[in-house]
Amino acid sequence: MELGPIVRALRRNKTRFGLIALEIALTLAIVTNCVTMILEARTKMVKESGFDDSNIVSVRSTPFDPAFKEEGYRDNSLKQDLAALRGTPGVIAATNSGFLPWQGGGSSTEMRIAGTKGEMLRTQIYNADEGTFQALGVEMVEGTAFTAEQTDTDTLRLAALSASAREMGADGLPRDKFTQDVVISRAYGKLVFGEASPLGKLLEDSDRDMYRVVGTIEDFYNPYGWPIHEYVVFYANRRRSFEGGAPYLVRTEPGQAVVITKTIEDRLVAANAGRNLQMRTIDEIKAQFFGAQRITVRLMTGTVVLLVFVTSLGIVGLTSFSVTERTRQIGTRRALGARRADILRHFLLENWVVTTFGLVLGVGLAYALNMGLMSGAAATKLGWPMVVGGVTLLWCVGILATLAPAMRASRISPAIATRNV
Amino acid sequence: MLLYNFRIALLSLKRNRILSLVIIGGIALGIAVSTMFSTMRHAFAKDPIPSKSDVLHYVRMDSWDPMKPYPGDDPTQPPTQITYRDMVEIMKTDIPVRQSGTFKSNLLLFPDQNIGRPRKVIVRMVFSDFFPMFEIPFRYGSGWDKRADAGPEPVVVIDEETNDLLFGGQDSVGKTVRIEDREFKVVGVLDTWRPTVKFYDVTQNPNEPPEGIFMPFNFLRPMQLQTAGNSDGWKSPPLPGFEGRLVSETSWIQMWVELPGDRALPYKDFLAAYVGEQKKAGRFPRPLNNRVQPVMTYLKERKVVPDEITAMAVVSLLFLAVCALNLMGLLLAKFLARAPEIGVRRALGARRLDIFVQHIVECELVAIIGGTIGIAISLAGIAVLNNWVKTILNRPDIIQFDPQMLLLAVGLSLAAGLVAGAYPAWRVCHIAPAIHLKVQ
Repeated sequence: MELGPIVRALRRNKTRFGLIALEIALTLAIVTNCVTMILEARTKMVKESGFDDSNIVSVRSTPFDPAFKEEGYRDNSLKQDLAALRGTPGVIAATNSGFLPWQGGGSSTEMRIAGTKGEMLRTQIYNADEGTFQALGVEMVEGTAFTAEQTDTDTLRLAALSASAREMGADGLPRDKFTQDVVISRAYGKLVFGEASPLGKLLEDSDRDMYRVVGTIEDFYNPYGWPIHEYVVFYANRRRSFEGGAPYLVRTEPGQAVVITKTIEDRLVAANAGRNLQMRTIDEIKAQFFGAQRITVRLMTGTVVLLVFVTSLGIVGLTSFSVTERTRQIGTRRALGARRADILRHFLLENWVVTTFGLVLGVGLAYALNMGLMSGAAATKLGWPMVVGGVTLLWCVGILATLAPAMRASRISPAIATRNV
Repeated sequence: MLLYNFRIALLSLKRNRILSLVIIGGIALGIAVSTMFSTMRHAFAKDPIPSKSDVLHYVRMDSWDPMKPYPGDDPTQPPTQITYRDMVEIMKTDIPVRQSGTFKSNLLLFPDQNIGRPRKVIVRMVFSDFFPMFEIPFRYGSGWDKRADAGPEPVVVIDEETNDLLFGGQDSVGKTVRIEDREFKVVGVLDTWRPTVKFYDVTQNPNEPPEGIFMPFNFLRPMQLQTAGNSDGWKSPPLPGFEGRLVSETSWIQMWVELPGDRALPYKDFLAAYVGEQKKAGRFPRPLNNRVQPVMTYLKERKVVPDEITAMAVVSLLFLAVCALNLMGLLLAKFLARAPEIGVRRALGARRLDIFVQHIVECELVAIIGGTIGIAISLAGIAVLNNWVKTILNRPDIIQFDPQMLLLAVGLSLAAGLVAGAYPAWRVCHIAPAIHLKVQ
């Protein structure tokens, strides 16, 4: 191998090759960190909600007809809507629930095991009815879902409760407590009760009102402002007000969500025209929720591609210079018996040495940049497989970029050596 | 002389077109990427109201649960908003020259039947001081006065977009708009106003565009308005229903005060005294933790610049560094290949300085051409980005290119040319003429 002469030649041109090495080092640092950020964003985006996202449509009915100010009218309209939705061909289930997957928030409360002085544990909380879990497409792990009768009874009870002031006891909390049946996510059950089955157990909130766990659902994931994405408590209640309107979730046969939207809207308008209807598929809501991340991923990907492009241009440029500059030497070597392959190998090897030197430097820079980004921005830790991947990529880029000029060098005829340039 | 150097530089660039293209293209990409990402970060991080940001203060008080701090990353932070009852009390002072509590509400707008069906719109409830406080630009008319605050009188200010929808963009001052079950008289129409960060309310998405309709705050009670923003509570209200919420410990109001000169200290004292009074009455069970912060302090604390944007700005500057290294390497090689010529020039009497200047001029020419192309590309890039944000997030004009960023781009180009060019030019002016003359 001619490694010795190559390294000696490089040392005579320290600056030029040093620059290329430094460029490759920086490129490795940027590429590995950017790709780490891209993968991090993608991991969040492919995280499963646990629901049948692509087949759910969110329907929001907001009344403007003053007739809706009357509670009986609202109740009637709600019943009609649910009947219309459930009767639409292609609809598997429909529910009236304030829960909306992927909207990046919702409502929350704090609870703990009833009768204890334990820490209050925050969870998301939403109303549900007889169709909620079917409409979301989540399985019950144990216990039972709410029935239509229970939803009606609980709705009446909650309405009566909030209609008048609750009498306060000496402790500043309502004197008469109530107990409400709830279905919770498995993750929240685990958080509160540990490994034991939460079924039949009681939770309490800050007013010491009680919540009896009657069921547990499988995976629940809804990103929230606070780290309670997997915790939820559902209680039976019908949700319909004049100000807030009535929210529905409709689950359709696979692939029907987009097609069915128009039909649903027509049917609901036919049922009652005194309100506005906003229809959005959960996929749309999810796309919007991850919008900023999608844009970040695109920009980062663009940057990485451009960067590798610029670096490879640099390698091509400098190798071309080396070739032009050493035309006579190459001619001489050829005249002295070097084959084309020898010349080609010389340049590839030379470039490989420079690239490798740069990459060694680059690994250090990559970790340094990662630490810098982690202290400021929320970048994730750089993993070694990423560094290995980056090194391999840049090795390949180095070889590919050298190839064209090196080929040109190998075609230099031995006759050049005898000519006076 | 400079002109002569300039001509040589142009000739030199023309001599090897492909190489020149690579050199210029490389630096253009560097400038494009760094300018675009810096502009992006700048749009989020810049002072949204430079003329007044140090006198406008956001007010918070810790009225949260005695058992645990307000949830979030930082347990020392008070709730992001204040309660209605506290707003009413602290607005009784005249220490601030202007002040306004504010929140947003989702209300029904009834356009003319020819225009369309009734729809829900986000309305911001404010006091009259809000408009002059935040220097909101008006196209027609103006805000309302204190009398309309107190009434409250049925007046509204609408933005450009709402005015286009309802009145075809005409001067609509004096016309009426129906919101929920009331008629409101338009007193002002806003000019285009789309700050990247909705700095007067960053409690939810800090990048949503400002609301389209502004109404007197005191319609809260007669219209029984609900907030469309966050509403954070830890204790059940003592009364049911609407009135219960007004006297509850639930915080849902953003509070701004304008405190020029030496008014900030007296205001903080006033606020501390108020909380002290309330503590005696059994409220504010947590330690005293009032925050009265100027705009930029508050925005930094709320971290309105997404971490990814900062990371991308850092990465883009490193990208420029790579491009500069690239440029330096290529220029070095190019200049050294020209050694024989330089030998001749030196032998004919050119000083080292002349050679140095000649090459620096060539580097700067490359940088300027590359920079110009780069700025053009970054403008196109920002347009594409704005379009993505518009289609994906439904937020128009999130990034605006401003003169500061143009200066930055030009500065970066010249600096890149100088940094990348200085060493090659220095090397080349130290070439000994004799050796190269011999070879000729």
